[in-house]
Amino acid sequence: MSETGLLLLVVIGFLVGGVGALTGVGGGVILAPVVAIYYGLPMHQAIGVSLVSVIATSTATSALYVEQHVTDIRLGMTLELATTVGAFIAAVMAHHIDRRTLALLFACFLAYSSFSMMGKAWRSRKREPEVNWTDYTIHNYPLGMCASLLAGGFSGLLGIGGGPIKVPVMHHFMKVPLRVATATSNFMIGVTAATSALVYWGRGDVNTAVAAPLVAGVFAGSLLAARLKHRVHSFYILILLIGVTGWFAVEMFYKLASGGFR
Amino acid sequence: MKRENAATDHALALTLKIGAYSAFACILGGLLLNFTGRWGHPITVAGFVILLATPGLRIIVAGVQFLREREYKYVLISLGVLAVIITAYVLGIQA
Repeated sequence: MSETGLLLLVVIGFLVGGVGALTGVGGGVILAPVVAIYYGLPMHQAIGVSLVSVIATSTATSALYVEQHVTDIRLGMTLELATTVGAFIAAVMAHHIDRRTLALLFACFLAYSSFSMMGKAWRSRKREPEVNWTDYTIHNYPLGMCASLLAGGFSGLLGIGGGPIKVPVMHHFMKVPLRVATATSNFMIGVTAATSALVYWGRGDVNTAVAAPLVAGVFAGSLLAARLKHRVHSFYILILLIGVTGWFAVEMFYKLASGGFR
Repeated sequence: MKRENAATDHALALTLKIGAYSAFACILGGLLLNFTGRWGHPITVAGFVILLATPGLRIIVAGVQFLREREYKYVLISLGVLAVIITAYVLGIQA
C-alpha cells in the first residue's frame, strides 16, 4: 500500500473513532463499507477489519465510563453471556455466506441505520435533563437476553457493535436509565466483537495491513473524543452520519446491481 | 440493586486502559517501524494480540473481583462468558 493510502486510513480511523466516541454510533457501520468500496477488500475481510476497530473504540472509551461508575458491570456481564453466543454463532455462519449476500445484508443495515439515526438526531436537539441515574431496578431479563443474542449475532455477521439494538431494549423494556444503558452497551461491545474477531482472525480474515493504520487512528480519535464528549453538540455530527451512511447504502446497492462485490 | 463498588470499577478501568494504551503503542510503533526496519510486522501483530486479549483479560479481572466480594452468581457468569470466548478461539484456530 502507498504511503498516502496508509495515511488516509489513519485519518479515516481517527475521524470514525472520534465520531463513534462522541455520538455512541460505533465505527463498524462506516469502516466496513469504506474498506470494501474504496480499498476493494472482500466483504469478509472488511468485516474483520471493522470488528477490530470496534474493539478499539469500546476499549478506549469504556475505561472512562467504568471509572465514573456509569457502567452497570453486573448487567453488562450477564447480557454478555447472550451477546458472545450470538456473535460466535454468527461469525461461524458468516463464513458460509457468499460475499454478495453479505454485502446486500450490509447495505440494508446501512439504510436502516441512516433512518434510525434521524430519530436520534431529532431527539438530541434539546439536551435531556439529567435524571437520577443511580437508582433503578432492572426488569425483564429474558427480553434483554433475547435482544442481546440478536445484537451479538448482528455483530458477528456484519462487524458492527449492536448498540442500536441493545440500548433501546435496555432503556425501554429493562427500565435502565439511558446514560447507563449507553455506557453498558459500549462496555459489552469489546467482549462481543472480540469473540467474533477471534473466529475471523483464525480464518485469516483480519487484514492487518489495512487494519493497523485504521485501528491506530481509531484509538487516537476515540481517546481524544471521550475527553471532549460534553463540549460538542452531537446533533450536527448525527446529521453528517445520516448523510454518510445513506450515501454508502446507495453506493453499495449500486455496486451490487452492477455485479460488484465478487 | 447494588452496583456501587469502587474497587471493581477501578480494577476494570485500569485493565481496559492498560490494554488500550499498550495495543495503541504497539500498533502505532509497528507502523512507524515498517518504514525503517524489519521489526514492524511482529510488533503490529503483538498489538492486535493485545487488542483481542484485553476483553478476555477484563472478564478474568471481573471474575476475580466478584470472587473476592463473594458474589458467586457473577463468578459463574464470568466463567460462562470466558468459556464462550475460549470456544470461539479454539474453533477459530481450527477453522
